[in-house]
Amino acid sequence: MTTPRISLLGTSALLFEAPGAFDLPHQRRIWSLAAMASKWQGIREAIPGITNLMLTFETPPRELDTLIAALNDGWDAAEGLAIGGREIRLPVTYGGEIGASLQSVADHCGLSVDDIVSIHAAPLYTVFALGSHPGYCYLGGMDPRITMPRRQTPLQRSAGGSVSIGGSQTGVSASPGPSGWHAIGHTTWTFFDPSRPTPAALAPGDTIRFEIKRVIR
Amino acid sequence: MPIEMTDVERLAQILERSGVDAIEIEEPGLSLKLVVEKSARMAASPTPAAAAGPATDHSVLAKANVAGHFLAAHPWRDKPFVAPGQRIEAGAIVGLVKIGLLYAPIVAPAAGTVDAVIAETGATVGYGTPIARIRPLAESNPIN
Amino acid sequence: MIEILSVTGPASVQDLGRFDQYRFGVGTSGAMDDVALRVGNIVLGNDENAAGIEIPMTPFKLRFGRDMAFALTGAGVEAEIAGRAIPPWWRLHARAGDILNIKAMSCGARSYLTVSGGIDVPVVLGSRSTQFRGEFGGLHGRPLLPGDSLPCTASTTTIGELGIEPADITLARSNAAADETIVRVVIAGEYDAFDAATQELFWSSSWKITPQSNRYGYRLQGPAVKPKAPIEKRSHGIVPGVIQIPPNGQPIIQMRDAQTSGGYPKIATVIRADLWRVGQARLGGRLRFEQTAYADALAAEDGMSAYLDRLRTNVRLVEEIRTCR
Repeated sequence: MTTPRISLLGTSALLFEAPGAFDLPHQRRIWSLAAMASKWQGIREAIPGITNLMLTFETPPRELDTLIAALNDGWDAAEGLAIGGREIRLPVTYGGEIGASLQSVADHCGLSVDDIVSIHAAPLYTVFALGSHPGYCYLGGMDPRITMPRRQTPLQRSAGGSVSIGGSQTGVSASPGPSGWHAIGHTTWTFFDPSRPTPAALAPGDTIRFEIKRVIR
Repeated sequence: MPIEMTDVERLAQILERSGVDAIEIEEPGLSLKLVVEKSARMAASPTPAAAAGPATDHSVLAKANVAGHFLAAHPWRDKPFVAPGQRIEAGAIVGLVKIGLLYAPIVAPAAGTVDAVIAETGATVGYGTPIARIRPLAESNPIN
Repeated sequence: MIEILSVTGPASVQDLGRFDQYRFGVGTSGAMDDVALRVGNIVLGNDENAAGIEIPMTPFKLRFGRDMAFALTGAGVEAEIAGRAIPPWWRLHARAGDILNIKAMSCGARSYLTVSGGIDVPVVLGSRSTQFRGEFGGLHGRPLLPGDSLPCTASTTTIGELGIEPADITLARSNAAADETIVRVVIAGEYDAFDAATQELFWSSSWKITPQSNRYGYRLQGPAVKPKAPIEKRSHGIVPGVIQIPPNGQPIIQMRDAQTSGGYPKIATVIRADLWRVGQARLGGRLRFEQTAYADALAAEDGMSAYLDRLRTNVRLVEEIRTCR
């Protein structure tokens, strides 16, 4: 894919998918495009995904050509938006009842439990986007050595605060719910509070460092 | 649906037959009102029941209170609201008048036994059109 | 006030939905049959976005704490109040202490109870709809339970009984079959990743609605529809109506409580003017997709607006006729 792909989500929304790698420079251009597009007439929200952008419509445009051209031009012009986000330190209890997949991730990757924990806790992760469920953050920056494919059959319920690996991504669930990822630990941090005007605690551009609070083997 | 001259004639006949003074039909883009001159009607009577035969001397009528098309059953139901011989309470629904997208209920003025449903499903009815004849409860078991 | 006496399945407070919180990971929620909720509000003279109760299963029983007008729309139900049967799609007046008993659902999948003035739960992030995953909105962010009290702002003015022609009848499609729901869809991003024969299979199949279908999604069963090569996409935003194709080739229609993002290939999206039809399709029933162009999907939305305008005019007219007499 060398040019952006633009497709319809019925008459409610439109999806813009950027060409290129899943990395921070591309994501910064998405943030920049989102900031632009959220001000366009008829657009309700501009929602960044992983190197893509969904625009929801206040009123669906009669003609799509103008909007498509604006997105393409916007992407070409978009300088990476370096958001000076906050850095959050998140104490994590690895393993235990909630992080029950820690051993199976270690087995899958051919590494020890201690290796998995130290590799997972090493990077400074960037919040690329919010999505899935209220307050959930998609993080970029995981070490590919601890990649593990998603579950064939999702779990009906995984705990809120689960720290999980799904494919080459990692994240922390903000509330209990079904999950196709592998939980390796948990945190007690509050990611979402509907009583606040900005209900999600984190925003794209914020960074997270996982601190090893305890490892239960 | 444009209204034809034959429709107007048919409506006029309904008015005469049913002893109704006026009928109105209103739908989007359509408004029709027919009024019968009192002096022109020989059998005109303030109480339709009095004009009926001796068998129904004490019966009461459930009448439409808006103009539209009569429905004996709700389109989602197989059975009509009421059937002859059925005991009903005062205020029970005996049928519907479809007016545009709405259904106005026609209710029984008194508790009793349904004698007959007079109106036919699909028929055009107006304000005061008799829909069902009901033998009131007190009259249903006459003392000999 | 309304007191819930008995409830089967996840009944909940819903308005039209929460539409501008996607960037925080918050989906729309809202009534699965938005047409039924709107109609129920229109006949009561409410704001169309007023909250009502979505009832997916019967029996369901509640008590009115005060005199108020209410309406039942949506699924065809056998219901009675104070022992008297209520016809489908009906507006009437309850007296304080009256018990409404919804005994059975004979057609459709969700019944809506609207009350004059609306269910007055707090507005959270712009809506009164229940957000199950986030556990907020509606009544304490959860399904209704026996003993729950729902606040109402209802005026006690008496208004007459009135029926509304069910939307199924008014908005029936000419090609509709009795045992099948047909919905119009606009093709989505990965449609061309399926070969012509597979695309044809998607259109021609009569899809079975599995028991795993709910407010999160409608999971369908039929011939496997798989792309030419496996696709795993980077996570991106999705909206209610999007039809995803997971690796097993069995489509899932995202509904009101769906996640706000996903990565499965998308073959098409159910148009907004038809999504209520999915919300009323019963488990075990059948569903068929009909391709439509974006311009025609917009025309269908205009048609829906015209229907609601016509209903408002009709209600006004009937009230005027009644007050004249």
